[in-house]
Amino acid sequence: MKNLLKIISLDWKSATRSPIWHRKLLINAFLALTFIYLIGNLLVLGIFLDDLLMKIPVDGVDYNTYGPSFVLRRLDRYLIYYFFLDFIIRYFMQKLPAMSVEPYLHLPIRRSSLVHFMLVKTIWSPFNLFHFILLGPFMVEVFSNLPFEQALGWVSGMALLIYSANFFLLYIKRTSEVDTRIYIGLLIALAALIGLHWYAIVDFNAISSWVFDSFFLHPWLAVICLIALLGSYGLNFSYLRKNMYLSRISRSGRNEVSYVGSGILSRFGLVGRLTELEFKFIWRNKRPRSVLLITVLFLGYGLIVFPQAEYAGNYLMYILFSIIITGMFMLNYGQYLLGWEGTHFDHILTRNISFEHYYKSKFLLFAIVSGVAMVLSTPYAFFGMKILLVLFCVFLFNIGINTHIVMFFGSMNPKKIDLSQGTVFNWQGVGAAQFLLVVPVLGAPLALYGLGMLFWDELGAVLLIGVVGLIGLAGTRYWIQLLALWLKKQRHEISNDFRNQ
Amino acid sequence: MEIQFKTLTKKYGDYTAVSVDDLSIPSGESFGLVGNNGAGKTTLFRCLIDLIEPDSGCAMIDGQKTRETEQWKRHTGSYLDENFLVGHLLPEEYFDFIAAIHGIGESDLQLRVSSFEPLFNGEILGGKKLIRDLSKGNQKKVGIAAALLAEPKVLVLDEPFANLDPSTQIRLKELLKRLKHDRGVTMLISSHDLSHVTDVCERIVLLEKGRVIQDIQTSGDTLKDLETYFARVGSSSVQEEAQ
Repeated sequence: MKNLLKIISLDWKSATRSPIWHRKLLINAFLALTFIYLIGNLLVLGIFLDDLLMKIPVDGVDYNTYGPSFVLRRLDRYLIYYFFLDFIIRYFMQKLPAMSVEPYLHLPIRRSSLVHFMLVKTIWSPFNLFHFILLGPFMVEVFSNLPFEQALGWVSGMALLIYSANFFLLYIKRTSEVDTRIYIGLLIALAALIGLHWYAIVDFNAISSWVFDSFFLHPWLAVICLIALLGSYGLNFSYLRKNMYLSRISRSGRNEVSYVGSGILSRFGLVGRLTELEFKFIWRNKRPRSVLLITVLFLGYGLIVFPQAEYAGNYLMYILFSIIITGMFMLNYGQYLLGWEGTHFDHILTRNISFEHYYKSKFLLFAIVSGVAMVLSTPYAFFGMKILLVLFCVFLFNIGINTHIVMFFGSMNPKKIDLSQGTVFNWQGVGAAQFLLVVPVLGAPLALYGLGMLFWDELGAVLLIGVVGLIGLAGTRYWIQLLALWLKKQRHEISNDFRNQ
Repeated sequence: MEIQFKTLTKKYGDYTAVSVDDLSIPSGESFGLVGNNGAGKTTLFRCLIDLIEPDSGCAMIDGQKTRETEQWKRHTGSYLDENFLVGHLLPEEYFDFIAAIHGIGESDLQLRVSSFEPLFNGEILGGKKLIRDLSKGNQKKVGIAAALLAEPKVLVLDEPFANLDPSTQIRLKELLKRLKHDRGVTMLISSHDLSHVTDVCERIVLLEKGRVIQDIQTSGDTLKDLETYFARVGSSSVQEEAQ
């Protein structure tokens, strides 16, 4: 017990001494505001949840049939979807409780108390607390509407279920990261569920009602939820206890890699070689790889706007979405341009690589990815050739002007990035530059459009964006020289920062 | 190629990390740098290869200031720490890339890489581990090999013997001696291992608090002298701190 308290205090130190507190105040304030905003949204949604539920038209059910439990029954109809969504969100976003146990393993602390500590800590995970913010007001209402034991049965059942979901997910996630068969199994199960729902083979609403209604109809069922909770906790406990050895926990992602020689890009000389390295870098590291994945997903971003009648001829929207479609990668990856190189920046400085080569290789990378995105998004022409024209002009602007803007901001005051972490909720590397970056990248094309509208029609304004992009493209060599000069001035400071981070 | 430091100082606040008035290493000399932690060895190296901007003075390779030119990068091989490695590559891919930078052809590269095989001891080539997943010692082998790959005229190594297994230490010493003898490479080596450094280097400079304390031509007595010095220095600095 004394040991456990000691561990808790050490863990607290690791949280309070985390590098995030050394970030600029501005960024932390921004993040705090975002967080408060999100919580506020959830709270408001929670408070009006009952009103919203009353508005859902459900045929054939009379309000008077069930009396005070009516709203609750309505909620119960959809809870299965709620937990399903929760599961998916948790799977992708919730982090496994990681405590660097290595420093403790050789000490006389019982293995099981370390495991208990790691697991109990997840109680405070935002993914659990969010539920109580959202459902909290509703739970209070349940107590005022229903007899006490019924309300207690439902509320405690829900709470226990939320935590069962927490531990069950942690178990699934942990095992599926080690064993891909589980991952594939999950995908199949997901597809099966969607199929069953799509073809209305199974009435999930009825199941949901049956399960969750019984929580208040038979309050003692909460005991089953308790068993589920203990069971899922036990699964985690025994798994972690068995696998808590250095070799299994540390560096789980130590994959075997095959030699990849130089490819077609080496025809571009050293610049091409550097670009190839960059592609290897992206593919072999978790966080940049997820950036690439996000880029692919955002190719479909245009579907939100282009087919909609209400946005027809809304060129501002077209431009905005086009910037993202072909520019997602350069924005998302390029904002940390130097941060990615934090671990081998000294290599770049001491080798015979000029900064111009360096920036040229980055430019080539962005041009290639944007070009591929442009080609892949040509099917948007289906919604009108004008959309294709906007996409193409904005693409020219992206590689002609925005690449250089992004490279400049990405080289400002870079932070070293830990490559083994994913992108979700990962604020490492974020600085003021990353927020400011969006202003010129999105603002400049819109401003150009506005300017063009003063003299010509929409088409002329869109063409202006493309022409400016072409001019920027023609001056690529010059921009890159400027960037190289700038980096040359900053090089000592940057390499020093990286070494001390 | 000659290496020179001229009135080079580097301060961090009030703390003087390096203050070297005039130190030159003639072409082809094997030069060892010893000193306790915080003596300024690595800082001096970083100033030399332009990773740190000195507050005053300069470092020169072949008569050119390393801060202002980039020519020296063609002839200088260096390995200080893991920041010099590209972790997401296989050792072979890393060597490929270094070769591309220096315009070394495919067959030449194969020849040079295989010449490091005694140093690698079968642990580096043909594996499927990325550099970042290698052990510290194996990373060092890759780093040293990469520094030597372009047949540099100047070689800068920080603690090359640390973390290496005994066989590799011995082979590395042989390799360094051969490089000096056959190709006249100017070498700058720092080490905490006094016996290795006296074995390899013909001249040894002792740093303390960023200053050159002793400048010795290695002889039979050097190792013993250094050992007595370090035994004494440790205790005297403890006394100073106590005061």
